Amino acid sequence: MDLGFIAQYFVNGLVQGITYALVAVGFTLFFGVLDVIKFSHGDVLMLGAFTALALFLGLDQLASPAWLSLIIMLCIGILAMGLLGALLCKFLVLPLKESPPLNTLLITLMFGSVIRESVRLFFPNGSNPKPFPALLPEASINWGNLNLRLDSVILISTGALAIVVTHLIIQKTRIGLAIRAVAQDEETARLMGIDFKKTVLATFALGSGLAALSGISTGLYYQEINFSMGLMLGVIGFSAAVVGGLGSIYGAIVGGLLFAFLQTLGAIWFSVPAYKDVFAFAVIIILMAWRPTGLLADRSAERV
Amino acid sequence: MRQTVLQTKELTVSFGGLKALNGLDFQLYEGEFLGLIGPNGSGKTTFFNALTGIYRPAAGSVLLHGNDITGAPPTKIYAYGITRTFQRLRLATSLSVLDNLIIGNQRNLNLGLWHNIFNRKSFKRRLQEQIQIAEELLSRFSRDLAVHLFKPVSSLSMIDRRRVEVCRALISEPKILLLDEPSAGMTPDETRALMDELQDWRAQYPTLSIILIEHEMELINKVSDRCVVLNYGEKIAEGRYSEVSNEPGVRAAYLGED
Amino acid sequence: MSELKTKLVLLLGVALSVVVLYGFLYLEREWEIGVLLVMVPLGVYFLKRANALTYYQHAAREMPRFTWISFALGVVVLIMLLRHEDFALLMLTTVLLYATVSLGLTIQFGFAGVVNFAAIAFFGIGAYSMAILNQHFLHIPDLLIIFFSGAISALLGALLILPILRTRGHYAALITIAFGILFRTFLEVNDVLGGPQGLRVSGLEIFGWDFGNSFPNELGGGSFYVAYAIVALVLLATVYLITRLIEASWLGLNMDSVRLDEVASASFGINGPRWKITAFMLGNCFAGFAGAVYAAMYGFIAPASFNLSDSLLLVSIVLLGGIGNPVAVIPAAFLIVVLPEKFQVIQEYRLLLFGIVVILILRFRPSGLMPRGLRQYFAGRFG
Ligand SMILES: Nc1ncnc2c1ncn2[C@@H]1O[C@H](COP(=O)(O)OP(=O)(O)OP(=O)(O)O)[C@@H](O)[C@H]1O
Ligand SMILES: [Mg+2]
Repeated sequence: MDLGFIAQYFVNGLVQGITYALVAVGFTLFFGVLDVIKFSHGDVLMLGAFTALALFLGLDQLASPAWLSLIIMLCIGILAMGLLGALLCKFLVLPLKESPPLNTLLITLMFGSVIRESVRLFFPNGSNPKPFPALLPEASINWGNLNLRLDSVILISTGALAIVVTHLIIQKTRIGLAIRAVAQDEETARLMGIDFKKTVLATFALGSGLAALSGISTGLYYQEINFSMGLMLGVIGFSAAVVGGLGSIYGAIVGGLLFAFLQTLGAIWFSVPAYKDVFAFAVIIILMAWRPTGLLADRSAERV
Repeated sequence: MRQTVLQTKELTVSFGGLKALNGLDFQLYEGEFLGLIGPNGSGKTTFFNALTGIYRPAAGSVLLHGNDITGAPPTKIYAYGITRTFQRLRLATSLSVLDNLIIGNQRNLNLGLWHNIFNRKSFKRRLQEQIQIAEELLSRFSRDLAVHLFKPVSSLSMIDRRRVEVCRALISEPKILLLDEPSAGMTPDETRALMDELQDWRAQYPTLSIILIEHEMELINKVSDRCVVLNYGEKIAEGRYSEVSNEPGVRAAYLGED
Repeated sequence: MSELKTKLVLLLGVALSVVVLYGFLYLEREWEIGVLLVMVPLGVYFLKRANALTYYQHAAREMPRFTWISFALGVVVLIMLLRHEDFALLMLTTVLLYATVSLGLTIQFGFAGVVNFAAIAFFGIGAYSMAILNQHFLHIPDLLIIFFSGAISALLGALLILPILRTRGHYAALITIAFGILFRTFLEVNDVLGGPQGLRVSGLEIFGWDFGNSFPNELGGGSFYVAYAIVALVLLATVYLITRLIEASWLGLNMDSVRLDEVASASFGINGPRWKITAFMLGNCFAGFAGAVYAAMYGFIAPASFNLSDSLLLVSIVLLGGIGNPVAVIPAAFLIVVLPEKFQVIQEYRLLLFGIVVILILRFRPSGLMPRGLRQYFAGRFG
């Protein structure tokens, strides 16, 4: 196989990997502050993409230029999903704080299926795939077998930038400090005068906003979205977060890139490319048996 | 010469940089009632956890009758006849008092498929035996409690739960009993009743050795044959309470001086 | 209560249930079902007001075996009443099979606390085993094939034991989710197993009786589904009995203990992994049995019937009923399977409504419709 092919796989895998990492960062944030898995994450991502699409259709009527549409779509999509994430947290996740973790997992899974079904039933013609506008520049460069699309480069950099910004928010801002304090130890954080509820809601808003961003990126990249796209992306993002080690942002990035790498590897190895997911998930299961708390996180022993 | 049943040599447990136990040398004699004291965070609970296989020691060894049992899993420790209570109670609160006690008596349960599923007659006889044992044990500690044998633990008061926790540790007739602040929250009368009952039990099983973690010094003074004082994971004194309590190091540790 | 009176109360309960179930399965017009849907909760409410429900519960606790047998016979009566109704029988059989899988889940996470979000995959393994074994091993009796299908399900599930034992909580949940998706994708891309088109399955033949024929006239005649319904009933009754006996023994006690506090359990000599493995294998085996009968009944299976959402449906049955309560899965399975089929309006919105209902239950009544009580080892006293 020549270098161009490999580079092509690499670039495609990187676009995927960054998307997965964005989703995984959300899972990791929620787990960090509240030790919960918000499984509707993938569907929030999908709803973000559909919100953006609806906005685009509306703006198109007003003949707004592409760059302006895109900015509005991103801003409103991210804000709306952030709000949704906070609401979900307030009304479904926090009230279940004292019940078994399985219940939280289930209630958010079900919330995800409510979002999914609502889009399918109530978005005009929602059960069919929808074309997503190609708003990014279409230029591309060819080097041998490598076709480097400008939009890939933009998406990769945007995703990476979003992760860096998230990281900075968490490390450098006051709300980030609160998030870290709550993640360390809820009781102590409360004693230090941190508003626990507000911090958790902010975290959920942040994570859900990231989901919206990755939903829109996915739409822009494939130029098609559908109501069930969130399910698989959610599961993959969850896998990535878990394999990396829940609670660690680096873990989420490593996990996201790893999953994309496994899929690419699977697609190359097996003559039937569809085996790539079978392969990726099998490796995930094996990795979990090998490192039960993920590759990067190490949680201290349970206190007795 | 009294026989040593349990011994640790240079036992060390660390959490990250913190050495919760630091090179602890410790001995427990047969039939002894030993008080384990020390300020908060001095490593008492950690010591129990290291003995019972819940935490893995970073260094050092644990010997039972001279045999090295360092790092043995909790199930093995139970099989050796060492049982414990937990400082923060760990009963199965949604199960009945009876169920919790039967769990404590795991050693004497027949887990065979035939016995449990098919031969229900013989199972029923065993169950009745267990009920009787549990009832007798409970009524030793509190006559009122025995009435609640078929109630969920969640319906009991904290004090009663502590009693159930002690009974769960006793029901299998252990050789070594580890009690982690069993009387926390009890009134002096209740505490006295609990201790009297433990003394009675000791009279019945003279080879039973007990380690009691306790903050109430009066109590330690009264019931213990000997005590060991921990501070920052190290043994700072050992001996009869009356001797130990006068040592300057111990007073300093308790008063928080250096 | 005197013995006779107890029995009468129990029989009355069974008779009432059969009438209600018959109504739900037989009636077709939506307004009729609607009336039933209003009547049943009202009826339950008044029975509860009149303490009749507690009365019945006491009776059932006093004579569990009589309750069990009378209920099974009640369902036989129900099947006979519906013997010419293909669709009703199909639904009833599906309810019985789903309840069987849910009992497996009850043992897994209701008792031992092992999460399993891949129940439908194990059901599917049973179904595919049936399809393949029945095609290639004609001389093996079908009853044995059902048994093997369950065993294969349990054995393939054993692949997950190591990762599940080593992980906790969400990590373990992910493993089963990943396995479910892996299984489905595998079926889709694998030509040997029919790919996306799936496989045909030949019908059952037990003791020389070909289930493809309609029910023999000497026994009253009726649809060929009657035979499947009866097989499913026998399966459910057996699995229920096993589940109950496990619960009412040291095995169930140990599983509960492991679920509630693994550290404390270990300190009292309870071998956590042993009970988790037992529960996981047994639960998957039940799912495999049910899948095998399902495949034979439908005569056709395809990957599209084994989605993550189906696993969620099964988990929701357990949750709706009341986690860990074996009886509760039966009405819950009935509600979740039959209601959407009966309301064409609902049909389209069924996943949406269903999601909302489960959210409301989790939020406001997390212990389910019939919360699990204390362990009852034997009839009457003992808790
Ligand atoms: N699982 C753990 N992870 C991290 N640190 C721990 C853990 N368990 C105990 N520690 C630390 O080890 C030290 C000793 O704790 P330990 O619980 O043994 O104290 P203790 O003597 O029982 O105190 P108390 O009287 O309050 O019960 C403390 O500083 C505690 O914070
Ligand atoms: Mg302590």
